[in-house]
Amino acid sequence: MWKIVVGFLVFAALAMWLLSKGGDVDISGEKHGIDVAPHAASSASNP
Amino acid sequence: MATATLPASSAKGTPMTQEEKKVIFASSLGTVFEWYDFYLYGTLAVIIGKQFFSALDPNSQVIFSLLAFAAGFIVRPFGALVFGRLGDMIGRKYTFLVTILIMGLSTFIVGILPTYASIGVAAPIILIGLRLLQGLALGGEYGGAATYVAEHAPHGKRGAFTSWIQTTATLGLFLSLIVILGTRTAIGEEAFADWGWRIPFLVSIFLLAISVWIRLSMNESPAFKKMKEEGKTSKAPLTESFGQWKNLKIVILALVGLTMGQAVVWYTGQFYALFFLTGPLKVDGATANILIAVALLIGTPFFILFGSLSDKIGRKPIIMAGCLIAALTYFPLFKALTVAANPDLAKAQATSQVTVVADPNECSFQFNPTGIAKFTSSCDIAKQVLAANSVSYENVAGTGPAKIKIGDKEIEAYSSKGLPADEAKAKDAAFKKATIDELRAHGYPAKADPAKMNKPMIIAILTLLVIYVTMVYGPIAAMLVEMFPTRIRYTSMSLPYHIGNGWFGGLLPATGLAIVAQTGNMYNGLWYPIIFATITFVVGMLFVKETKDVDIYAKD
Repeated sequence: MWKIVVGFLVFAALAMWLLSKGGDVDISGEKHGIDVAPHAASSASNP
Repeated sequence: MATATLPASSAKGTPMTQEEKKVIFASSLGTVFEWYDFYLYGTLAVIIGKQFFSALDPNSQVIFSLLAFAAGFIVRPFGALVFGRLGDMIGRKYTFLVTILIMGLSTFIVGILPTYASIGVAAPIILIGLRLLQGLALGGEYGGAATYVAEHAPHGKRGAFTSWIQTTATLGLFLSLIVILGTRTAIGEEAFADWGWRIPFLVSIFLLAISVWIRLSMNESPAFKKMKEEGKTSKAPLTESFGQWKNLKIVILALVGLTMGQAVVWYTGQFYALFFLTGPLKVDGATANILIAVALLIGTPFFILFGSLSDKIGRKPIIMAGCLIAALTYFPLFKALTVAANPDLAKAQATSQVTVVADPNECSFQFNPTGIAKFTSSCDIAKQVLAANSVSYENVAGTGPAKIKIGDKEIEAYSSKGLPADEAKAKDAAFKKATIDELRAHGYPAKADPAKMNKPMIIAILTLLVIYVTMVYGPIAAMLVEMFPTRIRYTSMSLPYHIGNGWFGGLLPATGLAIVAQTGNMYNGLWYPIIFATITFVVGMLFVKETKDVDIYAKD
């Protein structure tokens, strides 16, 4: 179990470090329209 | 033929075996893949749009928008039926080997697909074809993973075992961030927009190779193996699941009494909270992403906690408590989020009265899930501008063009119906400037001030929202599996899961936005999850039976 915890923390730390370096990306999930212009705000998402 | 060995109930108190760990790992890898794709198609949407769709004429863009919408909202439940049926007929192992192959190859091929500039309209057609194919396979992936893990789990540990699958949503997000941001940082913004965006898609081939290799080495689920040996597999799982009332009734209960509420609580906790921070609260995107990621990091272990707890106290109390607590606390939590993230906005909202005076016949319900609808009346335009500036307003019936009243100042809106593009653009700019200037004069901030943010409080609120997600999501796979007999399990549980999450969850952002614009209150979008979580709570409490002690082999 401790290996999973450490692995998860390392993984998360790397992701967050990259986010802090230039993380202004859209993490709101898949868009279900087609983005032909930035910030198509009303498109929905689902997994 | 060897007789299938069922997981022993005596194993309840023993630690997980290597084989059991492998089962969970193999199944979860597929769902990591699913989530990785989910985030790729969000983060890279603008680049993909530019490379594949922006050169299309407006009519074609509408058609492709509808097809992309169909890939998520129609094809996935259809895939749940197609692969669920296969899984119940030929077995779990081979079915979700097929789903991951289709899903993985569809993702990889996007990475080598020529763009519109190279092959013209064939490029968006192939891309949409791949997304439809991927959506189809995805419809069968979650049900397969949940069924496979649950059927390998010892009795009394199904909640704990299947809850690992839910943690993959966070892993998929972190993986996509590492690959996308890592690539972008390494090669630079320009090269990434030009060709580097392909790398995250290409990288997926490694994930696919590992997944296929592991899944090939796995055994068929013991429950399915036993049923096959006894010749009891279903010849027509779809007819059995949905054509017989005794099963259909449970499918409907699984949807209305479980997955519908689970989906809206999940979407609110992760995606609506993010949208609320960056949209109405005007927190910059990079800060909001980190706040959400920290909350997910803290909250993710709770999936395992609530999954394991559900083996002891039951699935139903945890899921129902999650729905109820969420429904009761969303309004105060989101209001507290406003005070913590943008106190200037909270103050302006409390002190400055804004009113929209408009002919009610001119005002639409601005529901726009595909982004292709255009709202052109003066009422709709006035409300859009106010909603974009996080202004809560009152609606008053009037005649003629809509007007915005801010304090004692009145600004007349315009209708862009039938106006030439240049004139509409000029009027839009003038109207926005007049409104925004007045709003600023009344204390509405352009951005959330980072110096005034109470970050520990924001993280605490977001973490609580994620914990609600873990309450409803942690035990859900085990509960869905336990509701249906082995012969139709894959089919029966996949459909309510995808309809619940795809339709009720997936439409939350667009519906929430439309409700906000309609009513003029930026918190009113929360009525959508509150209403559906409450329906699930009531239906679940009245009609859904506890399943933790169900012997999943009893009805085989």
